[in-house]
Parts: sequence; structure tokens; C-alpha cells
Amino acid sequence: MAALAEQYDRFKKMGAEIITVSTDTQFVHLAWKKSEKELENVAYPMGADPTGNLSRVFGVYDEATGLALRGTFIINPDGTLLNSEVNFYNLGRNIDELMRRFKANLYLARKANEACPSKWKDEGDKTLKPSSKMVGKVWEALNE
Amino acid sequence: MSDSIYGLQVGHAVPDFELDVYDPVKDDFDKKNLSALKSEGKWTILFFYPADFTFV
Repeated sequence: MAALAEQYDRFKKMGAEIITVSTDTQFVHLAWKKSEKELENVAYPMGADPTGNLSRVFGVYDEATGLALRGTFIINPDGTLLNSEVNFYNLGRNIDELMRRFKANLYLARKANEACPSKWKDEGDKTLKPSSKMVGKVWEALNE
Repeated sequence: MSDSIYGLQVGHAVPDFELDVYDPVKDDFDKKNLSALKSEGKWTILFFYPADFTFV
């Protein structure tokens, strides 16, 4: 959460609102925020999903425990889900990777006919323009 | 499963939702809903985790 807090301002300036969500209530969020030093710099809203209803919508509700799995979802301003990542309980998330995917989504929202290949990190990196000419020639397109 | 309620797939519309939130900046409770964020032209990133008072 500290890593997310560190980059929250950047996400915000780039046009995103981040909401963290667990099945705890907002009252518990308040108490946790105020007692845990790791959360000292947290500025993002902490969402409460005590019924698990929103967690179920995104397929991250664990019926056996009543908890939400570590899922991250990027939704564009039209309300379309563009990206989804779910980790099991014991694996944390890399916020640099979340930023990379958010940047790629922002870029692709402006360049509808392009695609960001696996090594894409930031604006200016190589993109692809999928077409009939690229069939069987992806290597050439990536290495030209 | 174009409009499946559970386990939404990428590429599909997210149904509107409203969440009670704790806003640490205002140090107060508030609500966030998807339709308001959409009308502000904002992207929304939801970050689920298992439980407060554990590692995240």
C-alpha cells in the first residue's frame, strides 16, 4: 500500500482515480489508516465492500473466507473494463507494472490502430500496427 | 456471457456501483460511484485486497 501511496499523485495527474477495496467497513479503514505507519502517506479513498457484492462482480470474492483476492482492474472513462490482474493471497502487486499498463491504456485510447507489444514501457517505445502486411512478419515489425 | 454479473471480462461494460469510502485527505467518510467518475472523464482503478491490518 505504501508503494501505491507513493505513486498515487502521478496516477491522479494522469487522469485516474484509484480506489482500494476490501470487505472491511469504512470504519475499519479509518482505524487501520490511523494506526499503521505503512499507511502514513495514503491519500487514496479506501472503499468498503462488506457485502462482497462489488468483489463478486469482478470475480475476486472468495466465498470460503469472505475476503477479496488481490485483483486490480482498470476501467476507462466510458466505463469499459480494459485490464484485469488477480493474484492469490500470498503475492503482492508491482505498482510500476500497474503504471506501465495504465500508460499503455492511455496511449492506446488515443491510437486505436496500434498495439503495445510486451516490451512496451513508455511513450516513444516501439508499437505495432497490426494488418495483413504483418502476418508472419511480426519479428520484422518489432526489429525494423 | 455478454452481461455476466460475476467475473466480468475485459472489454465489457462495468455496471454502475457505489462504495462507502474513507477519504484520508478529508479525514472523513464519503461515497464514490462509477457514474460520477465517468462523467468527470476519469479512469477508475480498483485495487482489491483481502483485509485491513494485514500486508497488502
